[in-house]
This record gives sequence, structure tokens and C-alpha cells, in this order.
Amino acid sequence: MTDTVALEKRRITYDDGTVRAFVFASVAWGLIGLLVGLLAALQLSFWQLNFDTPWLTFSRIRPLHTNAVIFALVGNMMFAGVYHSSQRLLKSRMASDLLSKIHLWSWQLVILGAAITLPLGITQSKEYAELEWFLDLLVVVSWVAFAVNFFWTLKIRNERNLYVAIWFYIATILTIAVLYIVNNLALPVTGTKSYGIFAGAQDALTQWWYGHNAVAFFLTTPILGIMYYYLPKAADRPVYSYRLSIIHFWALVFIYIWAGPHHLLYTALPDWAQSLGMLFSLMLWAPSWGGMLNGLLTLRGAWHKVRTDPVLKFFVAGVTFYGMSTFEGPLLSIKSVSALGHYTDWIIGHVHGGALGWNGFMAAGMFYWLVPRLFGTKLHSTGAADFHFWIGTFGILMYVVAMWVGGVTQGLMWRELNPDGSLVYPQWVEIIAQVKLMYMARTIGGGMYVLGWVLMIWNLWKTVASGKAVDGEAEVTVYKPAAGGPSTARLVFGAPTIMTVLGLGACYMMADSGNVVLAIVGVVVLLVIVAASGFMLAAAAKNRFQWHDVTESRPLAFTLLVVLAVVAGGVVELLPGIVMNREVPVAASGKLAVMPYTPLQLEGRDVYVSEGCYVCHSQMIRPFYEEYARYGAPSDIHESAWDHPFQWGSKRTGPDLARIGSYLETGQPKYNELWHYKHMTDPRSVSADSNMPGYPWLETTKVDLDDTPGKLQAMQALGVPYTDEQIGSALDDYRKEADGVLAKLREQAGPDDLAWDSELVALIAYLQRLGNNELVTRTAAAGGK
Amino acid sequence: MTEVTNDSGYADELRDHQFDGIQEFDNRLPNWWLWTFYGACIFSLFYWLHFHVLGTGALPMENFENEKAAWAEIQAASAIDTTELLAMSKDPTTVEEGKAIFTGAGTCFTCHGMDGSGMLGGAPALGPNLTDNNWIHGGSAASIYTTISKGVAEKGMPPWGPVLGAERISKVAAFVLSIRGTNVEGGKEPQGEPYSGD
Repeated sequence: MTDTVALEKRRITYDDGTVRAFVFASVAWGLIGLLVGLLAALQLSFWQLNFDTPWLTFSRIRPLHTNAVIFALVGNMMFAGVYHSSQRLLKSRMASDLLSKIHLWSWQLVILGAAITLPLGITQSKEYAELEWFLDLLVVVSWVAFAVNFFWTLKIRNERNLYVAIWFYIATILTIAVLYIVNNLALPVTGTKSYGIFAGAQDALTQWWYGHNAVAFFLTTPILGIMYYYLPKAADRPVYSYRLSIIHFWALVFIYIWAGPHHLLYTALPDWAQSLGMLFSLMLWAPSWGGMLNGLLTLRGAWHKVRTDPVLKFFVAGVTFYGMSTFEGPLLSIKSVSALGHYTDWIIGHVHGGALGWNGFMAAGMFYWLVPRLFGTKLHSTGAADFHFWIGTFGILMYVVAMWVGGVTQGLMWRELNPDGSLVYPQWVEIIAQVKLMYMARTIGGGMYVLGWVLMIWNLWKTVASGKAVDGEAEVTVYKPAAGGPSTARLVFGAPTIMTVLGLGACYMMADSGNVVLAIVGVVVLLVIVAASGFMLAAAAKNRFQWHDVTESRPLAFTLLVVLAVVAGGVVELLPGIVMNREVPVAASGKLAVMPYTPLQLEGRDVYVSEGCYVCHSQMIRPFYEEYARYGAPSDIHESAWDHPFQWGSKRTGPDLARIGSYLETGQPKYNELWHYKHMTDPRSVSADSNMPGYPWLETTKVDLDDTPGKLQAMQALGVPYTDEQIGSALDDYRKEADGVLAKLREQAGPDDLAWDSELVALIAYLQRLGNNELVTRTAAAGGK
Repeated sequence: MTEVTNDSGYADELRDHQFDGIQEFDNRLPNWWLWTFYGACIFSLFYWLHFHVLGTGALPMENFENEKAAWAEIQAASAIDTTELLAMSKDPTTVEEGKAIFTGAGTCFTCHGMDGSGMLGGAPALGPNLTDNNWIHGGSAASIYTTISKGVAEKGMPPWGPVLGAERISKVAAFVLSIRGTNVEGGKEPQGEPYSGD
């Protein structure tokens, strides 16, 4: 190339201390995360294991499990891999040891904070974004330290080009920053409580834009980067295809971001957004498999090594599980498949195939390769690592198969109708009883996996004990980029960007005009652009992707291109929702068809959020006749207009609650206050075979009424139409409504010593309110675009 | 570029870069992979045109409303009459079937007891005794059927109609009619108005 490379040589020492610390953190926190998962699995079979203890209850510890596995196990593993491989790929020590330390320790503090606050019920109730505002701030500090350190290291690198692993790391760092900040925008109400700025459908879309892409850019892209470094290293083979790296990298980062709405199929979200989510998920299948192919095909000529090397065994199985998950994902995104699988345990199986198979096995493979090298020794026992591999693999398969069977069983039982249109399985507990065996099988599979992890800890421990910490060293040629070359602007706004923008414009013309002639013109223009792009790509392939090769030597240009690719989908999908007028229609009575919650209901809702009811109960009825028969009319987009945050949920371990307070078309609650009282304090007293945990402490825990007016004020600031008078009389209104609930309880021969300001009274008031709006139904006219 | 032959005999082109010892081939993309991608894109184009531009495909709410209308037609065709209910309550098979639903997981017995006496495990349950002659919402066959089917929300009695369907509601009603006035021993104290009729 044309760069003038100085011939100055320098000996550098890598910062491997940080890598060792992250490995240790991942392994140790990982064990805790897995054990909490095991407990949660057991609680679904044996409700007694909730121990009637708030901080041990399923709905509070299940978020702890997911957060621990994602942010502690995978997070720390990813950082270990990024710090270790980046230094070597960039031929430079990390730019700042101080930033490395800040990143390391602030991240552990976040995890410790999560481990304390989530069991205490301090949560935003948005999946994988449960951490409250004060921990979010710490996450941002930690991530910024990481980002600055990483990009600074790019700047001072001693290698002309950025290797494909680094591309994936860049995408990870930038995208997670954008996702995390936007999704967690919130207004703090107290030291431990905030209301998100988005509500209802808008919040749902933002949350699943985040949730889906947390999977993409936290659990996938960094691990692909890690695969691109450690797999060819362990196999000692060249990577299969450079051009496949280019194509699947850009396709992946561009397409992934659009796919979020596939978590919201058949909800009240506008149909156009749902269809985008489904179609982009389908288009994502091949780019995802590109990563798997490049990994597996790299092993051509090295398959004999897989037989003897546990590291390669883990990588091969990990990459294969990745392929399985990224096939299953698009499959589940097809609307009619989602209709069956959504809300069931199938989804639980799907995520565990990815988390245990892809993330967990890539982690294990990397640790077995890395730890001996970080301690200048050999792996203590290859046999034990092999055993870990086999017991882990069987564990995952058992887990996943059990959840497939259980999930499909649930889905089929929910929808089965008698010849007269009534439900064949009207009772929820009948369905739970059918999957109990699968729950046990899952627990055993998960237990085997944990056993493998424990064995790994022992093996790594013995390995560490047999060596001592050594930091890698290398002699590097100092790299000075030559002046000249194309400007950053020219690289960023080159042909690929222009063609993409034109293509998106044509898509918009085709998709959104609502005019058939314009749509046809859009299709034609799109085809022309695609054909032109095809010719340009072919030409690029002929000259060995010169253009891309140059961009790889320009971190700023490369980074800006990643930003453009990632932001496109987010803007198209989120912007209409964010600027959308959330005008709730006015009912015949002259009042808003959906009224804001009363102070008592609002406090009850906060109890619902804090206890994690959304973990097992959805509030979103889909437009299927069987759901209509079971729960009532399909949920309408306006019904959650004042919900900061939304509570649509994603899993039905228990039934949907969207209309629990206004059952079917009766306008009356499904159950009376006494039923709810009994059900909360002892679920088995009204539903003998229920596996729901009891929440007896709600009876004695008091709502902190000092915060109530402030909560209404915060809601008002976020656009919920509370008047100043309502805020002024909040406490009086609260008392009056609570006394009404107590009076009903007494009338129903219920308890007469329940405190009016107990959490249980507020929760009952909230539940009886659900679905009680003057607007009850979503219509076909309101749906499509 | 260097041409090398690897262990498995492929002639691959090795790029001249290497990163920390990692080299890269520049193999062509597999055709089946490319066509998977193209196929998904082409499908998406047609899907969008079908559902969102031409409007030739029915969206979920439209499907739901059609489905709902179809079921309403079927249900309108089947109504219940008192004579038939009373006859059913005399038929042992029907009564047995009704009892099985009554005592099935999570249904009637949780509030009315296994035998309908309003007692569950020796303690008074939520609901009234169904074996005495007193009725809160009417003791006629038609009233009992309606109470089961529509529920009484303010008392916590859920509407079972949409849950169980007409046929099973009739069987449960037949069972309740069969135990009406049998005054099971140790039952809950009577509530509501005495009923004599049917």
C-alpha cells in the first residue's frame, strides 16, 4: 500500500491483568447467574421454593437470572475477549490502564447493584433493562470508559488495517450505547424509582428495539468478533472468506436493528411495524448464517483437531448452536408461527439454545484456550474439559427439547376449541399440569449444564494454581498512517452509502405511498438500484474490495459507517411512534375513553411492576378467537396510553390480565375483591393446582404515601393528563378509594383488619381497573396501513 | 495474493494481510447462502405489496372479526330450554358428566365444595351451599343455567359461558339441579331465598 511505515521497532507489554480479572468475574458471577436460574426453574415446579419470602420470589429473581447471565457472565466474558484480542490485533497495549480499571470495577459495581436491587423489587420492569436510573447512570459511566479506551487504542494502533473482529467490537460498543441510553430515558421520582419517558405502544416498540438488539449487539456481535479471533487461533487455520466477512458484517449490522417488532406480533402495535419486524427477521437469517459458515468452514482441514481439542469442540458446538438459534429466530418471527409460540415456553427454549449453546460454549472454549496462556501453563485436565463439553451439550439439548415440547403443548392447548366455539381447556391449571414433566426435564438439563460450569471452575482453578500470571509481550513496528488518501467524508458518503440511501428511498416509495402507481415505480427503481449495486459489488470483488480495504485503515470513517447502518432502522421504526400524537379518543360520556389511573391504582400498578407480575402475566390480548373466548376483546393501542412503562409482557406462565377487571363484555371484574385477596396471600386457596408464588407480605407492607403526589406530578410532566387539583387531592382520593375496596371486602365476608394503605389494597384496585375503559375494542379499520 | 493448497486440497487465495498470525482466504460466497438471502428479500417485497400496498391480504384484525362472526352464527343456532335441562338432570350419565366438570381442576368445586355443599376441606368455601333449597340468584333451571353461564360479578361468580361452552354449562346445570334440595349433611348454612318450583 501507499502508507509510509516507519521502521522503528518497539517492545510492548499487553495489559493482561485486566483480562484475567474479567475472566474471573465472568466465571464467578456466571455461576451465581446459573444457580439463580436453576432455583427459578425449580420454583415453577415447586411453588414452596419461593419460601413466601419477597427477595426469593420467582418474579423478582427471574430478572436477576437474566441480567446476571447477560451482563455478568457474557458481559465480563466479552470484555475479557475484547481486551485480550484487541491489544493483539491492534499491536498496542490498551490506551489507558486507568480507564481499563474504571471499566472493570464500575461494571462489577453495576452487577453487585443489580444483585441487591432486583431482589428488593427495585426495577423498571423492562426486560434486560430492569436496572433503575441510578444504576443506569453507572452503566453509562462504565460503558463510556470502555468506549473511550477502545477507540483511543484504535487511534494509537500499530497495525494498518482493522481485522474483522475489531469491526464487530466497534458495532457492539456504539450500538449498545445508543440502545441503552434511548431505552432507559426516564424521569426519576424517588431515589430508587423512575418512570420511563415513553408509554404504551411507543414504550413497547422502544423496549423491543432495545431488547432484540441487546441480543444482537451484546450477545451476538461481540461473540462473533471473539469467534473470528479465537477460532482460527485454536484451529491454526486461515479464516474461510474475507469477502464473506464483509458481506455478512454489513448485512448483519444493517438488518438486525429493524427486527425488534417481531417480539410484538399480533399486539396493538400498528401492522406496518409488525410486518417490518417479521420481514427483516427473515432477511436476517442468511447474514446470521454467514457468521456460522465463516466459523465452521475455517475448520476445513482441521476437523481432526476437533476430536482431541476441547477448545475446538466448544467452538464448533457453540457456532452450531448459533446457527440453530438464528434459524429458529426467523422461524418464530413468521406471524403464524409466532401465533403459536409467543408467550409460551418455546421462547424460553429458544433463548437458552442461544445463551447456553452459543454464549456459554463460546465462553467456555475461550476460557480453556485463554487461561493457560494467561498463566504460562497447560490446561490442568483435558479430560475434565471434554466431560464438561458432553454434559453441557446433553444438558442444553434436554433443556431445549423439553421447552419445545412444553411450549408447543401450551400453544396448542390454549387455542383448542370445542365445536361450539368454547375452550377445550378453559382452566389455566390444566395446562400447567400438562407441562409439569417438561419443567422437570428442563431443570435436570439446566442442572447438568451448571455441573459442567462447576467442573470448568475447578479445572481453571487447578490450571491457575499450576502457573503464574504472565503478561503477553510483542515486538511491534510502529505504524504511522500516511497523509493523503481519500477524505473521511468521501469514504463515509461513498457509493455504498449513496446506494443504500437511494434504495431506502425507493423502498419508502414502494411501501408507504398507499398509491399503487407510485408503489410500482418504487419497485422498479428499487430493482434498478439493486442491479446497479450488484454490478458494483462484483467489480469490488474483482479488485479485492480495495474500497473496503482502505476503509479498514480509517477507524473514524469505519465507525461513522457503522453508525449510519445501525441508525437507519431505528429512525424509520421509532420516529413515527415517538412523534405520534397519543391522543386518546373521547367516549360518549364526554370523558376520555381511557382515564389516567387514580392515585390508588397508580400505586397498585407500581406494586405490580415492583413484584415483577409482568414476568408471568401479559396484558395484551391478541386478535384470535381463542383469546377472545378466554380473555375478551383484543387489546387496543389506546388502552396502555398512560402506561409508563408498558406492561404488555412477553410470557404467559399465568393468564393474560388485560381485562381481568372487565371480563369479556360484562363490564364487570372477573373476580371479586375477596378472590384477589385470597389469591395474593395464598394462591392455592382459590386455585388448588396453581404454581404461582404467594405474596402474603403485600398484606402488611404499606405504600409510602409521601411519594404519591410526586408520582402523579411526574406522570403529569410526562404528558399524562392529571389536573393540578387531582394532584392536590391525591391523598384524600387515595383514602376514599381504598376505603371503598375495604368495604367491598367486608361485604364479601373478607378480612376486616386489612390496612387501607397496604400494598394489597392498592394492587387489588389496580387489577379491578384493568380493562375498565369506555373503549374496549381494536377494530380492523384501525389496524393496517 | 498467494495461491496455496490447504490440507483438504482446495486451492484458496490467501490475502497478504495477517493479523496477529491470523490469515484470511477470500473464498466465494456459497450460492445456496446467497439464494437464501435473495429469496428472503424477494419474499419480503411480495409480502409487503400483498398486505400493505395492494391490500389484497387480510390483516390480523380483519381475520379475527370474520372468525368471530362465524362463531356467533354457530352459537346462535343452539339455545337451551328448561324442559330439556330438567330431563338432563334426571339422566345419570349426563349428571355424572356434569359432576366431572364441577369437580374438575379449578372449576366450581373451589368455591362450592366437591359435593356442592359450600364446604371445602371442612371449612366454609367462598360460594354458597347448592344442596339446600335457598338460592341467592334464583333456583329455577333457567336461573341456574344463566348464573353459571353469565356469572355474578359482584359476588365473585365468574361467567363460565365463554369458558365452558353451552354444552358443558348444560351438563353442570343438570348436575346442580340433581343435587338441589338434597341437603347434604354438614353443608354451609343456607343463603338467599327459599325456592320451590320447576
